Amino acid sequence: MMKYFKILLLVMLAFASCQNRSGSKQKKIAIIVSTLNNPWFVFLAQTAAARAKTLGYESKIFDSQNNTALETDHFENAIADGYNAILFNPTDANGSVVNVQKAKKAGVPVFCMDREVNSPDATSQIFSDSYSGCVSLAKDFVQTLNKKGNYVELLGLVADNNTWARSKGFHSLVDYYPGLKMVAQQSADFDRNKGLEVMESILQAHPNIDAVFAGNDAMAMGAYQALVAAGKADHVKVFGFDGAEDAIQAIKDKKVSATAMQFPKVIAQTAADDADAYFKGKRDFPKKLPVLVTYDNVNEYIAYGKK
Amino acid sequence: MMKKAVKYILAIILVLFIASNSIYFKKLSDVRASAAKQFDAAKYARNYLITQLIPAADKAPQADDLLVLLKSTPDTAFKMYSHGLDIGNIRFFIVQGQGTVTAVDENDIYIVTKNKQALKIAIEYVFGNALRDAPGLININDFTNTMDLNNIAAEIDKIVRAEVLPPIKSKIKTGDKLTFAGAFELNQEHINLDKIEVIPVVLKIDK
Repeated sequence: MMKYFKILLLVMLAFASCQNRSGSKQKKIAIIVSTLNNPWFVFLAQTAAARAKTLGYESKIFDSQNNTALETDHFENAIADGYNAILFNPTDANGSVVNVQKAKKAGVPVFCMDREVNSPDATSQIFSDSYSGCVSLAKDFVQTLNKKGNYVELLGLVADNNTWARSKGFHSLVDYYPGLKMVAQQSADFDRNKGLEVMESILQAHPNIDAVFAGNDAMAMGAYQALVAAGKADHVKVFGFDGAEDAIQAIKDKKVSATAMQFPKVIAQTAADDADAYFKGKRDFPKKLPVLVTYDNVNEYIAYGKK
Repeated sequence: MMKKAVKYILAIILVLFIASNSIYFKKLSDVRASAAKQFDAAKYARNYLITQLIPAADKAPQADDLLVLLKSTPDTAFKMYSHGLDIGNIRFFIVQGQGTVTAVDENDIYIVTKNKQALKIAIEYVFGNALRDAPGLININDFTNTMDLNNIAAEIDKIVRAEVLPPIKSKIKTGDKLTFAGAFELNQEHINLDKIEVIPVVLKIDK
């Protein structure tokens, strides 16, 4: 009888210690971002990590280097290492879906930041309203060019929804003005160096342009460098998107005409707050939560929407 | 020998059955047409304008009252009357009123209301989300595709540009009395009432 009692006591102790350990275990948040080669995404990731820390969670930043295969590795590692939530900036709206589904299957909530995935499997998607931001930017573009001129469009990553949301928002207004003619449209992958290279080659085929619309500030700054090298920077108006630090300075120096201000701080903090709410039992998250992009008051902000 | 032949025939039938159920052919044009059929933003926008936007404009606050409230207690004005699908500082108001035209240029009609409030009404750049978002009647979670929502805004604006503006643009002149309803955006963190530009949905020159 005593023997059975001892065994029962040991089993109870084992259960009690297990419960105690899991209750006190600190939750971990993985922050997986498309690239850390762009200061905008560095700011997004670091803001999310800082918020997670403030909320009392351990976090780690993973860089996918714009590579979906590497992104898949990060998801597998994060799930295997017992991360409890993933704050995710996807590389590819379609290619990243499989990773989100993998996490969902493992019971790990995924909160998308800034970029969308074409799937309802993400717990929530918080992103900039790029389309509306570019409609506002396009109005200034038309007014600056007095409704006529030749222009070039530099697109971002072709597989990213933001690329097309920005382009469509821009064209939804600009295309109403037949005097504005797009002479070239090419992708430069949201990358400054590629923006420079692509612009150099476009300028050889189309030397007489009046403006450049770039899908982000990094490409706009690359295009500006190419225009300086070609001796056309004084005449050609450059428009970007993001509200990045160097672009804001370039607007002040009258090198770049305009940019639209995104709010990565709001996006990152909302994603971390949502993960916290998830841990505390909340489940009814809005599937999509756009963050409005400001155009009119860019001068009242400093980089990345900080005041 | 006979048994073997039956086996082969059965195996061939099985392979053909699996193959025929695994592969099917569709015309690319049919696939594109069915994808395009998924959401008709133009139809949605027309229906929204008739059944929701114009009735909401009919019940909207008067410009005189709203502008006074925005000047005196902006927090209350934003809380009571503004809407938006996005998170952030930009909010949208629906408004109606009457006024006297003080000037007309390529982009705007400038009016002064009965209580001497100055206001701009857009007649060139009728674009953006104001008419879609200001009444607060559309729920973002009803749409799985964000581009559908963008297309709704574009289609509402297109109707206004095609049907509301032309009869007014050709006739409007300084001194005319104007009845209007529409929507405008305002940044609640950086309130600048001078920048208000109403995107119209109703415009009528009073006789």
